[in-house]
Amino acid sequence: MSEPILRVRGLSKTYMQGKIPVHALSDVTFDVERGEFLSIVGPSGSGKSTLLSMIGLLDKPTGGSVFIEDIEITRASESDAPRIRREKIGFIFQHFNLIPTLTALENVDIAMRFARVPKNKRKKTAIELLTQMGIGDRINHKPSELSGGEQQRVAIARALANHPAIILADEPTGEVDTKTRDMIVGLLKGLSEEGHTILIVTHDTAVSQQTERIITMRDGGIASDKQVDRGVSRNPG
Amino acid sequence: MFDLILKNITQRKLRTGLTVFGIALGIFAVIVMGGMSEHFNITFDRSISLTADKIRVLPEGGFFGASLNGSTVREVRRIPGVADAYGMLQAPLDPESLGFFGGDTVIGIPPEKLGSALKDTKLTQGRLLITGDGYRAVVGSSVAREFNLKIGDEIEIKSKRALRTTSITNTRNFTVVGILEYTGSFFDNSVAVPLDRAQKFYDRGDTVSLILAVPDPSADPEELSKRIALDVEKITTFSPAELKKQIEQSLVVFSLITISAAVLAAIIGGLSVMNTMLMSVSERTKEFGLMKALGAETRDILFMTMGEAAFMGILGGIFGIIGGGALVYYLNNYLASRGTVLFDITPRLLVIAIVFATLLGVLSGTYPAYRAAKMSPMEALRYE
Repeated sequence: MSEPILRVRGLSKTYMQGKIPVHALSDVTFDVERGEFLSIVGPSGSGKSTLLSMIGLLDKPTGGSVFIEDIEITRASESDAPRIRREKIGFIFQHFNLIPTLTALENVDIAMRFARVPKNKRKKTAIELLTQMGIGDRINHKPSELSGGEQQRVAIARALANHPAIILADEPTGEVDTKTRDMIVGLLKGLSEEGHTILIVTHDTAVSQQTERIITMRDGGIASDKQVDRGVSRNPG
Repeated sequence: MFDLILKNITQRKLRTGLTVFGIALGIFAVIVMGGMSEHFNITFDRSISLTADKIRVLPEGGFFGASLNGSTVREVRRIPGVADAYGMLQAPLDPESLGFFGGDTVIGIPPEKLGSALKDTKLTQGRLLITGDGYRAVVGSSVAREFNLKIGDEIEIKSKRALRTTSITNTRNFTVVGILEYTGSFFDNSVAVPLDRAQKFYDRGDTVSLILAVPDPSADPEELSKRIALDVEKITTFSPAELKKQIEQSLVVFSLITISAAVLAAIIGGLSVMNTMLMSVSERTKEFGLMKALGAETRDILFMTMGEAAFMGILGGIFGIIGGGALVYYLNNYLASRGTVLFDITPRLLVIAIVFATLLGVLSGTYPAYRAAKMSPMEALRYE
């Protein structure tokens, strides 16, 4: 077994809703190995999106730690957070979240700008990635001129641009039809076979069934953690 | 990043246009008002430097107080340290059309003293006044242009005297014998005529409006000024330094009024930048959240938003300067034909205008940029 690329230890998040504490996550612990393709499923409010935002350094936990490649990102200072987001994490969102005023090429390019990648290299990489996603002929189109599937492919290319350690996808097929969904899952699966580590949060069992491992969340904790192929249950914690 | 800034600005053309227009109006005001203030500064500076070596003797209570006459002139001349002293009579060229900013002035002066009064000012045509000149005049460059005068032409001078309830207007033609070069001082708007003819025409006996006292090269003008004031009754004196100080004080007030009106206009322009940037930032909340999720540093977002604001400021500044410059150019041309110039756009004013516009943009962009940069990516991404 290879070393874990992601380690989640005792992760908790408590929000205050007025004076009432809401435990969105409580004591979540699991490991993800390099190159793993796993899905996190569960009903609404089970804490899966909260978990993803803690791993993605978009939000701070109230307890526990997240390690990516042995760096404890949950202890990262405000000034270190952007660098960790750039180098370790690639995001794919349900609503694509492309910048509407920029073309497909520029949307991929902008992620590399923040990483201070030189201009020539940015353009080359962006074209390569968009071509790899099968939309090499649409690079100069703006999001409004692209279909949902095409937009999500731009978003995937953007997530890959800085060679992150982990790709986090929050309901990546939530906004597309079944045919596009299969195409997107196929793409992500292909990326995982190339060695990318991918975490998908999804409602859709048709998506989760395509992954190697399914973590089911309930009430802020892990209810089950199964390998799909082998059907072997892992110990949640 | 500049391409992104440009893109964002050109994406919202109408809004950017209106904001730039707001700043441009403000800077337009800075240029026009500032140009006027600069002109006055320059004119006073030049005028003072032309008379810097002489002490002014005025009637006690200023121009409207008791009048000075020939015996006062002689009294002043007798004071030790005074090399020379002569009286001058001042009156408006046309009392019926007194402009707010002065207008042309007739100066009655002993003919042989005109050279001393004008210091090193040269003539473009003709000669200065000489002893024995009758109804002759030496005119300033603006007067010559206004009335299209050449040597030998006649210039009409009017006087107005109140007589019980009516007033009588007299006119008299003077022959132009000399035209002065442009000095940028009050002399440009002057018509110099022999003192005795002026006193006769205005029916002023031997009174004068002011006396200029030329100090001996060895005398200290400040000391001498005080001595004259002590020795001669019912007069006040202004040494060159005092005059400069007094004029500067009144110029400061004038500058303050014009500049603060302009600054107010520009600040309103600045508020429009802030409003636009706040709207633009709140519209793009999600975009900034996304950029942060993609690893943008706080300074990246600050640079982008402040850059947009500064760019609008600079653009507004440029348009304001062009607009203000054009108005000033046409107004000066128009006014020159009527014998006066009101504005001077100095390099200093241009620098102030463009720096002010940029600063205004940057300062108005600071708060919106700070809001954008401090956004939590999580909150921002959830924002709809």
